[in-house]
Amino acid sequence: MIARLKRSMIRIFKHTVSRIVSYIHEGAGLVLIKRFCKNLLKQLPGKATDKFLELLLDGMDLAFLVLPGYSKNIKDFKGRYLFKTREIETETDRPVVDASVIFKNGKMKVDSKPEDNPDKWDVRVTFKNAAALRDFIFSRDQDILDSLLANDVEVDGNLNYVYKFGFMVRDLGHRFGVG
Amino acid sequence: MALVTIDDPSLNSCELSGKLKRLRKDYFRAVPEICIERPKLVTQFSLEAGLFEQDKISILDKARVYRKILETRESVVRHNQGYERTDSGLKPFEVEDTSPFAGSTTSKFKGVPLYPEFAIALTIWPELWTISKRASNPFHITDSDVEKLNYEIFPRWMENNILELARKRCFEENWKRYKRKKYAPEIKLFQQLVFFLTSKAGCISHTIPDFSRAISLGLREIIDEATEREASTSEPSKKEFYTAIQEVLEGIIAYSRNLAAKAEELAEAEADPTRKKELLDIAEINRRVPEFPARTFREGLTTVWICWTAIHLENPNIGLSLGRLDQILYDLYRQDIQDGTIDIRGAIELICSLWLKIGDHVPAIPDSGEQLFGGTGSNQAITIGGVDKDGNDAVNDLTYLMLRATELMKLRDPNPNARYYQGVNSEDYLRRLCALNINTGAIPAIHNDRAVIKALTAKGETIEQARDYGVIGCVEPGSNGRFYGHSASILLNLTSALELALFNGKHRHTGMDLLISKETGDPTTFATYQEFKDAFEVQTRWLVDQATNLNNSLGSVHQVFYPTPILSALFEGPMEKGKDLIEGGAAINSSGAAIIGLADVADSLSAIQKVIFEERMPFADFLDALQKNFKGYEVLQTRLMNPEKTPKYGNEDPVADTNVTWIVDLMDSTFGEKVNYRGGHYRVGYWTMTNHAGFGRLMQATPNGRPARENFTSGITPVSGVTPYLTKALNSVANLPARCLSSGVALNLKYTPESGEEERMLDNFVASVEGYFDDADGERDGGMEIQFIIADHKTLVDAVKHPEKYPELLVRVSGYTAYFKDLNPQMQKEIIDRTEYLLSPGKMVPFDPFPLPK
Repeated sequence: MIARLKRSMIRIFKHTVSRIVSYIHEGAGLVLIKRFCKNLLKQLPGKATDKFLELLLDGMDLAFLVLPGYSKNIKDFKGRYLFKTREIETETDRPVVDASVIFKNGKMKVDSKPEDNPDKWDVRVTFKNAAALRDFIFSRDQDILDSLLANDVEVDGNLNYVYKFGFMVRDLGHRFGVG
Repeated sequence: MALVTIDDPSLNSCELSGKLKRLRKDYFRAVPEICIERPKLVTQFSLEAGLFEQDKISILDKARVYRKILETRESVVRHNQGYERTDSGLKPFEVEDTSPFAGSTTSKFKGVPLYPEFAIALTIWPELWTISKRASNPFHITDSDVEKLNYEIFPRWMENNILELARKRCFEENWKRYKRKKYAPEIKLFQQLVFFLTSKAGCISHTIPDFSRAISLGLREIIDEATEREASTSEPSKKEFYTAIQEVLEGIIAYSRNLAAKAEELAEAEADPTRKKELLDIAEINRRVPEFPARTFREGLTTVWICWTAIHLENPNIGLSLGRLDQILYDLYRQDIQDGTIDIRGAIELICSLWLKIGDHVPAIPDSGEQLFGGTGSNQAITIGGVDKDGNDAVNDLTYLMLRATELMKLRDPNPNARYYQGVNSEDYLRRLCALNINTGAIPAIHNDRAVIKALTAKGETIEQARDYGVIGCVEPGSNGRFYGHSASILLNLTSALELALFNGKHRHTGMDLLISKETGDPTTFATYQEFKDAFEVQTRWLVDQATNLNNSLGSVHQVFYPTPILSALFEGPMEKGKDLIEGGAAINSSGAAIIGLADVADSLSAIQKVIFEERMPFADFLDALQKNFKGYEVLQTRLMNPEKTPKYGNEDPVADTNVTWIVDLMDSTFGEKVNYRGGHYRVGYWTMTNHAGFGRLMQATPNGRPARENFTSGITPVSGVTPYLTKALNSVANLPARCLSSGVALNLKYTPESGEEERMLDNFVASVEGYFDDADGERDGGMEIQFIIADHKTLVDAVKHPEKYPELLVRVSGYTAYFKDLNPQMQKEIIDRTEYLLSPGKMVPFDPFPLPK
């Protein structure tokens, strides 16, 4: 409980500082995000951990907030994603990674304990593990079809939403100068 | 007048002019560039017409969009720039464009057109920022075009492309049937990629239009005919259809006139008198055709070219084919020669220029799509030679000119296919086809008219229609300009049916805890080989059901959202019926399925028959060997791969040949009883493009001794390395019944070049084709098609290590032609490992398999 509260506080702090800086200059906002997203930057081209999705979504969230160019990606975009792993955590009996992301009204909302209800997502992506997710949406030498070929990922729903998400992730990497 | 008047069929004295050599060099230098002109305009005009909000798009609405695009698209008469690979990335270079043909399928010198209405375009969305840097076949794209695609174009199609619309349709139907939300098992199987692919999600092409009316009548007369038919019918749907035809044909005429105007504008500013005249000539020709009948050979070629660009505006560049160009253009050519307005050299120069234009685009393929379709061009087949509708020899001077043009240009696209009718066409002609294969290393493919015509008439075509067949995409035969067969509708991985039979409805790729199909019984309990065959048949029929259901769903979505007025205007049937091609307007309708893994499955059945049911090895042990990829079972694997110990297709072995014949019969009857969404029946072919490598990569070890991830064998070809004698291999294939192979076959052979012994090699080469095509006095049908790679093992291995030394090394994949350097490593391995025969003794050349890429 305390840990979650701490994380929320850090998140609010990062958002506030970033927003202030981005008003001064978008470039400065980018520098700040890079500072706040060091772990993500390490994992984008390298070895992914179970925390990859969380880091990625945090990074995207921050970038939508402070980079007007990047936030154009979700202007007028409505999309509901559910990401989960096949691997189940024994303690909680929930997938090791499990998150829903909703894009609406130019904003992004993340839920780390989502309900798996077909009415609540446009696309559900079930991947083998966190590394499979990273390969699925970011790896330079692979792409979505490759993950499908390897049976690392299962997609239910509208595949085009996955392509759109894949672009947004790579666009972030492009702005970071990674990938 | 004799059809063949030239003295030397090789036409060796005719070479490329300096300017064409330079243009060809630029062509090879250029990497493809993504062109957003089409998706931008189609999105813009569809938005303006409110098409995204409609539950059904009418043919007239669609025609109006196309007309606007044709009227407003950029008129490119001369390309100035291409992009090339350098150490520091893709850089622009100046192009010296001197083509006598104006216009292009995209606005780029070598373009990648995008069709966001279909599934493939959006697959490249995630890699837009990196596509110009990818290792395999990069495409250039500007930052501004990335942003336009990302912000303005692709988002519009997320809910509106054919695959998504089909998925929603499956949801609705399955909800009614099973009361399960968002349930579409057919789409799921398709997305698992290991069972089948259905190309309707990506295109509607794979056919041959009818250019003959456009050439001889001109589009204006076709418009007049549509106007009259519109006036004389009271049926609203027909009225709408005929109005749509008028709209698109006016659009094509406008595009040609715009090109003429642009050429005049450029001529005005041109100081060089030669170039000025070239531009004025273009202007004069494009002002006349395709609106009015072509009067000269060049006008005829221009008509074909302008119509071709328009057809590609509507239909993705996947397997659209040009048909029998040597037949439909022959009269114009002969007239020009008689009038002295053109000579042979000039005619070859024009054909070569058209060949370059035809290759001005490549399909959009995402990075990993390269694994399934790596190195593919647009597979635009042209057909030459054979017989005419009355069965007479149709080989003419133009046939030889086109062969010479093919030899000089050595291009991947167009994909040349030659027809040969034993006893009707001359042996000199066959000799020329074989010599051309030796000289180019891979082209043309040779088709046996007698067997093909027999196969087509068995499917209900009249003898005249069958004799007038052209080749579509890779190797698929279809009556020229009147057959809408969508010959690549389904690409079925037959080894998956075998897998489902071996593991009682489960598949090792998708996981052994998931029941994919029906439970056909634990094979360890089977007492007879027949029981296993029955299980395999049930799984095969189930797989065919799924694939045809999805194909028909996609087809019905096409009917609602993707009418095809341009193709319908240039086709035999739609005008007479007043009906769009995709509604069944063509004179002949069918759908095609290509089967992947025939030889591996046939040899697997033979292995099971022999080892388990004759020699009584426990099935459980056999399955254990497969599960362990033969680890600990090396002796068994060696035995399974030895043709002297286990029956192998391609050795005239009665067990093996019985099994392969049973399979082709099963596939023909299973598909043949299925009716498609246009009321036609399915036809079956055995050509695999690169899918035998792609599917092979996904599949575990198989009963024929093939280890996990190893390539399957291409087309109808026997498994590599197990057929030591050429004659026996050819006879096994030639013994298969043609009626079961009506959607075409690809028999891939590799011959060792015999330098210093060219004449002897050519004699043996011709004899091998003659022997394979021979019907043994009616005892068999004879082989349907054959295609070659003339290269030895050492050269191909060296080309993997040093691709820069072999920029133009052409190879036959399984159907289409490709540059070896563009193929993915898995496919390169398959080509290297193919059985290579030294013709003089007719025996296999021994070599070790190339290592499997990581």
